[in-house]
Amino acid sequence: MTKININATAVESREQRLGTIVSWYGKASELSELSQYSKGGGCGGGRGRRCTLCEATGPFSQASGCTDAMAECQAGNIRDAVLIKHAPLGCSSFQVALNTIYRYGLAMRGYKIENVTVTSTNLKEDDMVFGGIDKLRLTVEDVWDRYSPKAIFIGAACATAIIGDDIDSVAVEYSEKLGIPVIPMHCEGFRSKHWSTGFDASQHGILRSIVRKNPERKQEDLVNVISLWGSDVFTPMLKNLNLRVNYVVDMASVEDLAQTSEAAATVAFCNTLGTYLSEGLEQLYGVPQVRATQPYGIKGTDEWIRALAKLTHREELAEEYIAKEHARIEPIIDGLRKQLAGLNGFVATGSAYAHGMMCVLRELGIVLKGSQVFHHDPIYDSEDPAQDTLAFLVDNYGDIDDFMVSVRQPYQFYTTMKKIKPDFITIRHNGLAPVASRLGIPAIPLGDEHQAIGYQGVINMGYIILAVMKRQRFHQDLAKHVKSPYSEWWASQTDANILSKHPELIWEGVAGVDIPASKEGLHPIQEGTG
Amino acid sequence: MSKKIKQIAIYGKGGIGKSTTTSNITAALSEAGYNVMQFGCDPKSDSTNTLRGGTYIPTVLDTLREKTKVDAHEVIHKGFNGIHCVEAGGPAPGVGCAGRGIITAVQFFKQQNIFEELDLDVVLYDVLGDVVCGGFAVPIREGIAEHVFTVSSADFMSIYASNNLFKGISNYSKSGGALLGGVIANSINQSYSKEIVDDFVRRTNTQVLEYVPRSVTVTQSELQGKTTIEAAPDSAQADVYRSLAKKIASHTESKVPTPLEVSDLRAWASGWGQHLLELERQSGALETLVKV
Repeated sequence: MTKININATAVESREQRLGTIVSWYGKASELSELSQYSKGGGCGGGRGRRCTLCEATGPFSQASGCTDAMAECQAGNIRDAVLIKHAPLGCSSFQVALNTIYRYGLAMRGYKIENVTVTSTNLKEDDMVFGGIDKLRLTVEDVWDRYSPKAIFIGAACATAIIGDDIDSVAVEYSEKLGIPVIPMHCEGFRSKHWSTGFDASQHGILRSIVRKNPERKQEDLVNVISLWGSDVFTPMLKNLNLRVNYVVDMASVEDLAQTSEAAATVAFCNTLGTYLSEGLEQLYGVPQVRATQPYGIKGTDEWIRALAKLTHREELAEEYIAKEHARIEPIIDGLRKQLAGLNGFVATGSAYAHGMMCVLRELGIVLKGSQVFHHDPIYDSEDPAQDTLAFLVDNYGDIDDFMVSVRQPYQFYTTMKKIKPDFITIRHNGLAPVASRLGIPAIPLGDEHQAIGYQGVINMGYIILAVMKRQRFHQDLAKHVKSPYSEWWASQTDANILSKHPELIWEGVAGVDIPASKEGLHPIQEGTG
Repeated sequence: MSKKIKQIAIYGKGGIGKSTTTSNITAALSEAGYNVMQFGCDPKSDSTNTLRGGTYIPTVLDTLREKTKVDAHEVIHKGFNGIHCVEAGGPAPGVGCAGRGIITAVQFFKQQNIFEELDLDVVLYDVLGDVVCGGFAVPIREGIAEHVFTVSSADFMSIYASNNLFKGISNYSKSGGALLGGVIANSINQSYSKEIVDDFVRRTNTQVLEYVPRSVTVTQSELQGKTTIEAAPDSAQADVYRSLAKKIASHTESKVPTPLEVSDLRAWASGWGQHLLELERQSGALETLVKV
């Protein structure tokens, strides 16, 4: 298991801790097998901590996201804290989207609707040359004067990380001066190839500086739920076990974060989001994490409820709840299965959440031939096989033939859509839904990611699919009237990963460019899963 | 309870004998029974060469470049008497950012908790010259090295580099950074060299830890790819390094230095220049007198 080391201010990247990859293709069962290091998986060589997976590479990347933005979407969404981005102004461009999501989230959970409080040190050429620390000090003081926050996060960016601006010292200085946690986050974009390291950077800061170190009381009915902005579905669920919910990190207060060390257990709506904080709370503060799959689909929810009940000594209540819910939902789900029969779906979301979503869809009898997940963590920080969400999917719901790991990459998504021809897709992240629409495929944009959770989640998804299918005709009409942005050459391709296998083919697609005699500079790539 | 690991940074102008001095201190500490790591923070990556028979080791940054997942053990190489040798490495001259390289390498080590795992007593960072950017200051920031020593000769440019370092230390001292242990005076063979360094440390509120004479034994040892401690253990020079290592091992109290302003430093250097000219004239006059 990863040793959570809060002596260091900078978190270890996902690829270093977990061997995370962002590009792969093959069957889900193959990836699951390779990811189980303990059973001798891994194809990139090494053993134990050094074990790695192979990764597909290509001649270019069309799109991605930034570590810094993911740190911002957590640290910048704490209700009574302020995030200072120690960066040039452009690094704050994500704020526009983030503010919308935050306001929706606040509304869904019944909080007062307000804007995010994220500021920037607005660094310029001079600051890059002479250092931006004085500007940072000024900004910390301004933030304190204007907002009197309960905590201040300082996020590094590429520019400040390269010049080595010492945000750690400023954080120490102002923690003492202001008497509140001032937290440095080393979340610069180049730190990791996948944005999820940004989650870990903010959670690392929370573990170091906000979580109460020596809690005087234990709240035996409190469960930390690591989530994003989804509606409150956990409270009614956990009420059946006489448990209360402590939502972290988004939209939490600083006190909500501080009391995580007093809770009886930690769960996450998605293992990819919650892995670091769950493991940290367990290792450093003795708060156990639920060692089970996620609460998606009937079987997953059963296992998850039972594991949580075991940790909190509520086994009887759990069995009552499970029996009651099974009796309630099974007839409804049977009805839904009939209405959904024959539909072909496709999941394009983040890693562990995608695995959960596929369980739900298969539970409803939806055909799943393929999927595009945005990265893959071969293991989570606990390294416990009980949390292996991909293995849970494959073992209980069967294989996915076209299982593609691809960090957005609309050009690959386009080809996959044309090959698989799903009736609908489910998606959370921006960028790909319009591609599907242009091909006549309606998208389910899961803005409220909690809709698929638990027993009711299976029913919710059934109704959502039925509703979106009623709009299929609209998308088909749309497809007739839009022009594809891709060239005929790319439109004629049938393999979304062809450029990983043969990067030199890219020259075929560039009109007017002669294919160079030498292939120098293009990445070689192994055949097969490489 | 884990013991406190003594972390020391040794700075000095390029070419002043910093790696030679550091390697000899490391070797002497190891010989005295301490479990020691030497961490080279210079893109040239040759800090630990004389601890390993003159050979280069794969650097942290080169290894991180080859693969995404690296275990710290992979970049720690055994040297003379079981010393743990690490080279941060860095880009070729004229490209990239050597300072960021030091940040990356030092953070990588800190994250893996490796010093505790190896049960080290002392870690010595051998850091290139002037504090040229934020990256080169990383070893003296909060939570890394506690004590800084600077290697300096009586040469004005070397003193200038030391004074610059003192500015960095006094800057970071306000936020929990390392403090100055003192100056290791190197290549001190003339009496006036000693006087110059003594005068500089007096004005900057620090001390000379040891006067290390220039010695051909050091050169001979280096040509064999060895430290003086290893190649000429019975030499007087080896004893100088042993004495220095002993002082470093027992050193506990470091201070905030008072660096000179550039104009004061120039005036000071010019004053010494005049004085040295005067000395030369006097000895010249004396020679003339003798000849007559």
